[in-house]
Amino acid sequence: MACLTTSGRLACGSRRQQTHKFLCQLFAVRCQSLSTSTSVSSSSSLASSAYPLQRQRQQQQQQQLRRGFHGLSFSIGQDYLDLLQNPHSCSHHLKYSQCSKTNLRQHSSVHTQQPAGPVREIQIDPYIILDDELKYFYDDVRDLLQSGTSQPELDTIASYYFDGQGKALRPMVTMLMAKAINYHLNNESHQLVHKQRQIALFSEMVHSASLVHDDVIDQSDFRRGKPSVNALWNHKKVTMAGDYILSIASIMIARLRSDDVTIVLSKILTDLVQGEFMQLGSRETENERFAHYLTKTYRKTASLIANALKATAVIAQADDNVAELAFQYGRNIGLAFQLVDDMLDFVSSTEQMGKPTAADLKLGLATAPVLFACEKYPELNPMVMRRFSEPGDVERAFELVHKSHGLEQTRFLAKKHCNEAIRLAQELTESPYQKGLQVVADLVINRMK
Amino acid sequence: MQQLSQRMSHGESLSLMQKRYLALAAPALKTFTLQQQKQQQQPHRWTATSTISSRQQQQVTTPPPRHDWNRAVSEAERIVGYPTSFLSLRWLLSDEIANVALHLRKLVGSAHPLMKTAKHLLYNGKNTMQAWGLIVLLVSKAAGHAASIPDVEQDKSAGVLHSQRALAEVTEMIRISHLVHNSVVNLQASTEAGQDVATYDDMSFGNKIGLLTGDYLLGHSSAELANLRNQEVVELISSAVRDFSESEFIGERDEQNNPLPYKPGTFQRPSLNVGVDFNEHDVMTPMPIAQVLGNPEQEWECRNILNAGSLLGKSCQASLKLAGQSEELQRHAYRFGKHLAMAWQACLDAEPFQCSTLPLDATFSLVSAPVLFHLEHDPSLYAQLEKGKQSVENIDYDQIHKAILAGPALAKTKELQRKHTAAALAVLQHFPATDARQALENIILAMQDL
Repeated sequence: MACLTTSGRLACGSRRQQTHKFLCQLFAVRCQSLSTSTSVSSSSSLASSAYPLQRQRQQQQQQQLRRGFHGLSFSIGQDYLDLLQNPHSCSHHLKYSQCSKTNLRQHSSVHTQQPAGPVREIQIDPYIILDDELKYFYDDVRDLLQSGTSQPELDTIASYYFDGQGKALRPMVTMLMAKAINYHLNNESHQLVHKQRQIALFSEMVHSASLVHDDVIDQSDFRRGKPSVNALWNHKKVTMAGDYILSIASIMIARLRSDDVTIVLSKILTDLVQGEFMQLGSRETENERFAHYLTKTYRKTASLIANALKATAVIAQADDNVAELAFQYGRNIGLAFQLVDDMLDFVSSTEQMGKPTAADLKLGLATAPVLFACEKYPELNPMVMRRFSEPGDVERAFELVHKSHGLEQTRFLAKKHCNEAIRLAQELTESPYQKGLQVVADLVINRMK
Repeated sequence: MQQLSQRMSHGESLSLMQKRYLALAAPALKTFTLQQQKQQQQPHRWTATSTISSRQQQQVTTPPPRHDWNRAVSEAERIVGYPTSFLSLRWLLSDEIANVALHLRKLVGSAHPLMKTAKHLLYNGKNTMQAWGLIVLLVSKAAGHAASIPDVEQDKSAGVLHSQRALAEVTEMIRISHLVHNSVVNLQASTEAGQDVATYDDMSFGNKIGLLTGDYLLGHSSAELANLRNQEVVELISSAVRDFSESEFIGERDEQNNPLPYKPGTFQRPSLNVGVDFNEHDVMTPMPIAQVLGNPEQEWECRNILNAGSLLGKSCQASLKLAGQSEELQRHAYRFGKHLAMAWQACLDAEPFQCSTLPLDATFSLVSAPVLFHLEHDPSLYAQLEKGKQSVENIDYDQIHKAILAGPALAKTKELQRKHTAAALAVLQHFPATDARQALENIILAMQDL
């Protein structure tokens, strides 16, 4: 299904429909309660598309309003979604989306109907309320990277993933939390927001640096729908470019002149590496496996968000309780995000994720869906132990995961973390940003890519 | 009983690192305490050495007749209480590194350059300058610290601050992380290494381990740096990491990113005669290397400042920042570290040309000082070097070796080394005469005789 936004950018993926179908089936019961259609006015930045709600098997179509944010998208109150883009974005987008133009015409009609029901009323689009902070976000990262080197090639490699194609989830959540805390503390000075924005820059830069190094380690050829850095440049240079991004990010943070912020953020780096080492796989027993998986997930993904959010609280001189709240919110969001990511690895298409499906299995990694599936199909255990290395392992594991309830269970766990995040957000003073933090939890659980 | 309480009181002054060491390495505890006791047997050691140093002060004009590198280094280690092995011991105690060691076993026998780097680091022969942390500590001790530094920050027995010791460790970690990251093999599909099916898995696995090990060291350096609670220091040391990565992008490279010199005549010889250096007031500004390309000596300097001098210089500078020393003395410390690294590099560059024939399988860098100087003298050598564009291994090193020995390049390299040695010694005169300064002088002099 492809959708065109008025900005001319489009997002699509013909196999997304299959994914939707899958998720529809998962939540058929819930969906059925939402049968009445309501009309919702369409704004220029929104588009919606058709998906089966009731009687999916007969492919009867009903319309749904969908809203999209920067590649992250969700549908209101529903557990499936589509990807749309919002209008503020860089021109870089177009060149990468040429390939999908063929799908454009057939699906460009804008549908505005949506089922009524227990739908959470949401007027907040985090990306729109953070427009000021996020508009030139990637431009600023690129400027920063460029200012630190006299070597054009280093600049090119280091800037490669700051093309505006990413979801910018980390900076978005960081800024939401920053502004929600500022509102909570009644301190909304421009200077403070600027400093917090540097922390958001740091979070995205560290994330990209880790992607760059991951690319060398995993040797995958594509990321985010374009050739990965290791396919294009000398691996030694790519390694150095990762170090470069990190060093520039550290200089930037040191310039905030806050000892505590630097300490909080440096924790991210040690966690990231320790997470990677955990992934190298000591062979834990079945009982320890899930704990190991969760710790690894925290270190590799959640720590970055949690500590970045905590840093925005620390720099705002919030008390320890607020800083801990920010941290825990980030931890829960981060864990949910990764759980959904691990689930999508089994249901999404290559086109959508920008990387091959079942990539984790192919890398020998047993993620939550597999670990859950082990309960029903113990034959998975030896495969997990040998890291799906024998011929046929990946295919068989893939099949068994789909046969089991592994995906639903993973999703359920993610949902639990999201609910906890929402609960935490509600402890802050009510503000558009505080509302935004709750919306993000929905975005994370409902994302498709 | 008395002994026990003595030990306890000593324990209080142990650095955090040593405490961790004690907690984790129970079997080593015994030897460790023995060492501590031995040190306690000489309670007035530091007053003793300070009298020695005043005696040495008088002798400064007549340096000892022979400069033995190993002796100079081990004496220096004693002065700052810094056993060379402590870093490697600490390494083995972390889970991650134990993990790496386990994985490295799988690589034994493979041709992955990581093995060579590991060997190089473990068997630290006299020709590898492992002692960067040592230099930082000696400079720290030579400069002393401001009166405002609280007592708890000081490691009285060694005369350096705990924070400076941590910084010295960070310096070594960053340097090693760069070496390790540099041993990543380019496995792009277009390269020879990328197409060799037989070794691909080994190489790919080695890359993974090398990358993660380097990242581990970088991550931990940044955590240790953060704990120093001095953002100027964080800024400065981060910029040294930046310089390291920048250094791998300069000029032409073969498939494995080995550097090749620029083709003679690519650049107009720059008119300026003074070398370039970093902007003192803004660490973010990169080295303006474009200004000096084409001038062999200055190009060599720039490459090696990025590659080595930056970290040593900036670490020395940062260490004095921690001690609350004046900006001026900080700058001297930077210059000292930079010139020392340059002198060392010139010495290393000259080494393959010390004998009349190149030892079997030995090679040298194509951007080392003798090669660059020779290219200036005789641009026709470039035709030989061009053969290395795909891989520097395709070059006939013997022939180039012979050509360089016949020209003036080696003499110029020796001159370069003397220049930086003299500069380093001159900067040292800004520091008060102490045993630490004497040790630094001895190391420099011993290096010249290598």
